[in-house]
Amino acid sequence: MRWGYVLTAVGAVTLCVGLSMLAAVPFSLAYGAADLWPLLQSCALTSVFGGGLVLVCRGYPERAVSHREGMAVTTLCWLSACLFGALPFILAGTFPAIHDCFFESFSGFTTTGASVLTDIEAVPRGLLFWRSLTHWLGGMGIIVLSLAILPFLGVGGMQLYRAEVPGPVPDKLTPRIKDTAAALWKVYILFSAIEAVLLMAGGMDLFDALCHTFGTMATGGFSTRNASLAAYDSPFVQWVVVAFMLCAGVNFSLHYNLLLRRFRPVWKDTELRLYLGLFLAVTGIVWIAVSLSGQLGGEAALRHAAFQVSSILTTTGFASYDYELWPFLPQALLLGCMFIGGCAGSTGGGMKVMRLALLVRTAYTELLRLIHPRGVYQVKFGGRVLSPDVISGIWGFSSIWLASFVLGALALTACNVDVMTSFSAAVAALGNIGPGLGLVGPTDNYAFMPAAAKWTLMLLMLLGRLEIFTVVILLVPEFWRK
Amino acid sequence: MRIVIVGAGEVGYQIARRLASEAKEVVVIDKSEEALRRFGDLLDVQTVLGSGANPRVLDEAGLAAAEIMLAVTDSDETNLIACLFAQALAPHLSKIVRVRNPDYLRYQEKTNRLLAVDRFINPEAETVKTILRLIDLPGAVESSEFAGGRILFLGLRLAKNCSLATVKLADLRRNISDLRFIIGAIVRQNRLIIPSGGDRLEAGDLVYVVCDKSDSKAVIELFGCPVAPLRSICVIGGGNVGAGLARELEARHYQVKLIERDPQRCRQLAGELDRTVVLHGDATDQGLLEEENVGHMDLVVALTRDDETNILSCLLAKSLGVGRSLARVNKFNYLPVVQAVGVEHTVSTRLSAINSILQSIRRGKVLSAVSIKGEEAEAMEAVALEHSGVVGKPLRELKFPRGAIVLCVMRGEKVIIPTGDFVIEPQDRIIILATRNSISRVERALMVTLEYF
Repeated sequence: MRWGYVLTAVGAVTLCVGLSMLAAVPFSLAYGAADLWPLLQSCALTSVFGGGLVLVCRGYPERAVSHREGMAVTTLCWLSACLFGALPFILAGTFPAIHDCFFESFSGFTTTGASVLTDIEAVPRGLLFWRSLTHWLGGMGIIVLSLAILPFLGVGGMQLYRAEVPGPVPDKLTPRIKDTAAALWKVYILFSAIEAVLLMAGGMDLFDALCHTFGTMATGGFSTRNASLAAYDSPFVQWVVVAFMLCAGVNFSLHYNLLLRRFRPVWKDTELRLYLGLFLAVTGIVWIAVSLSGQLGGEAALRHAAFQVSSILTTTGFASYDYELWPFLPQALLLGCMFIGGCAGSTGGGMKVMRLALLVRTAYTELLRLIHPRGVYQVKFGGRVLSPDVISGIWGFSSIWLASFVLGALALTACNVDVMTSFSAAVAALGNIGPGLGLVGPTDNYAFMPAAAKWTLMLLMLLGRLEIFTVVILLVPEFWRK
Repeated sequence: MRIVIVGAGEVGYQIARRLASEAKEVVVIDKSEEALRRFGDLLDVQTVLGSGANPRVLDEAGLAAAEIMLAVTDSDETNLIACLFAQALAPHLSKIVRVRNPDYLRYQEKTNRLLAVDRFINPEAETVKTILRLIDLPGAVESSEFAGGRILFLGLRLAKNCSLATVKLADLRRNISDLRFIIGAIVRQNRLIIPSGGDRLEAGDLVYVVCDKSDSKAVIELFGCPVAPLRSICVIGGGNVGAGLARELEARHYQVKLIERDPQRCRQLAGELDRTVVLHGDATDQGLLEEENVGHMDLVVALTRDDETNILSCLLAKSLGVGRSLARVNKFNYLPVVQAVGVEHTVSTRLSAINSILQSIRRGKVLSAVSIKGEEAEAMEAVALEHSGVVGKPLRELKFPRGAIVLCVMRGEKVIIPTGDFVIEPQDRIIILATRNSISRVERALMVTLEYF
């Protein structure tokens, strides 16, 4: 482990995070400037810390960056971003307790969208903008962003990229990792711009449109309103958000292909088909169940069903309606969707459609083996044969993911949180969703949780965002041996 | 006339044998000394040791003086590279290339500027097509196509209690009203007969019939050999033919099992195929066949490289109760035995390779040709030329040799089964059946001059 290189990389990424705080300044100025100083101070502090690290360590790798260093850099960058991202809240005194500031920042960068704010609308606009911006930065990934703009990271780029965008089968879109990162961000920015324009056409002002765009495209879920998207009584706005949530849950390399007018790989993509099929099926059932219960009717029933299903399936966590008022079946379906999440390579969280599909397929193959003892089977996905390594990697991921979920939920119950709330909060944090069931439903927030429970949730969010291995591996003693 | 054959495999051997027997200068190139020795010992050909992808070797084989090159090694890449160099060394050369990988054919238009290949052949794909036709018409013993699939040439086994048995052929037309077909040849007790009006059909005859594709089902019924459509098919042998067949069958929603002996190949096949159940094992292992319920399947297709294994596994499957069986048999002298022991259908990759290569080297006027009963007779499709002797006279007045018969005429899009009064016009496509020793006389009669080169 070359600490010089690791710390330089962390410093550089921290510097980027610090500078990005400046983006909130215009909104602070436009809406009374109550939060101008905290923002500028945090920007200065973060940038000085990051820049200082780079200047002091000056570790530019001459040799290839190892897999281990990639993991360490990625995890430390995320920790640094989440901690420094809390500075504006701390300096502005938004929350009485310091761990609440960190919670909000972790929840932002990991695109969870779980909030400890009881009255969002009372917070100055500059801070709210920063809060939503953390989503947007974390959504496509701060490492991917840095890869696109910091040339010296390019040397170990692939290791860093793999550590941040693990996925079952990593796909590089272009020969150079820097171009891949840039391409992903370009697609991301393009989609964000289109959504923001559409939302403004639906009646939002620039500030609200941008904040909600950040929350949607990053599948985050922070809103600028206490009632989330339910505050906008416009079917147009809600349908736009549904469409873009769904887009954000799709593998971004498919969007990239679309922009290059390569339609065939997109049309043939098995994961995309499963994802959309799942969305349509669950939406259909929820729609029927909600309509039968008589709470909603007509277009509203369909809209809220589609909204909540896409919001939970893509792990965004926006609310257009309090689904805890719905019959039990839709609630259970939404809970199930929390485990699934979006597609691999999207900004969504959860276990990812591809992994679950592969688990199901492997299990089915085992059944076939019992029927035809001399049959020879290969697990395939999208016409490609997957090597046993990939499959065992997925089993490993899933078992640690589920173990983290159970242990996290147990830790929450140990903090004296009720069972339903604990389990749904654990999956909502690990899957980077936000709202759960019970006391953390779509109309509630996490403010009441004890401090220990909040730290547990922060850890789960980070685990979920970096897809377990990158973080957990730092806790394995073997990792640190020479 | 010099022909260079790259690749001393089975196809290369058969073609070389055929051409050498017609007194052509044949040069064979191969990397294997042993394979070449067989050529040198048995055939009157020259052999050159070395890779066909090596320009020095090609030059040594006298490519510059040759007129045709056949690249028929097992490796697509060697064949294509041989073409590339041949194009550079001797641009006037006609090139016929065996290519298995369909991806190469997909880019044919773009690459052909470079390679200038006159014809790509893929005998394995042809064999798969033949088997698919048989599966489509399970009553027929053999089945081939003319006129781009419009006309079928079927081999039918006359059933014991069929009403056509003992009928004089001349009276046939009166008996069967308006169904349009014509009997081209009969194989009876291992003898090939080109029938005339006085001959009678007998139960057990293998009858070669030409008919319009749309009439094929009715014709099969008339001969008393309709078979219920097949649903479940067991393919034995996962080579190129077996795998290709399984892929086509699963696309047509048949229920397919494929048995292959090599575990490595099994894994590869399991990756390539979707719904097919790939089984690892020996197809002559009765335990495996019983375990997988092969006895209750509709058809067993044995396609390994080994004739004996194919025949044996078909017989084993038959003993377990399978409906029908098809064996790939490359040795022509096995053919009568195979059908006698109860294997209904046979196919031969070698035969289909020879067919397609011969078709393509008979320049111009012959469009396609099919060998029947080994190579004793040939059905061929040709264009009637304006100045040839067949045009402008009723058929009955043509001086056609015994052993040759005009089966069918395509005029534009119309399929015509000719009677004695029929007059052939220029540009008609005619399908003629001729025995091997009457072919040269047919040539003269047609004035099509079936020039080989």
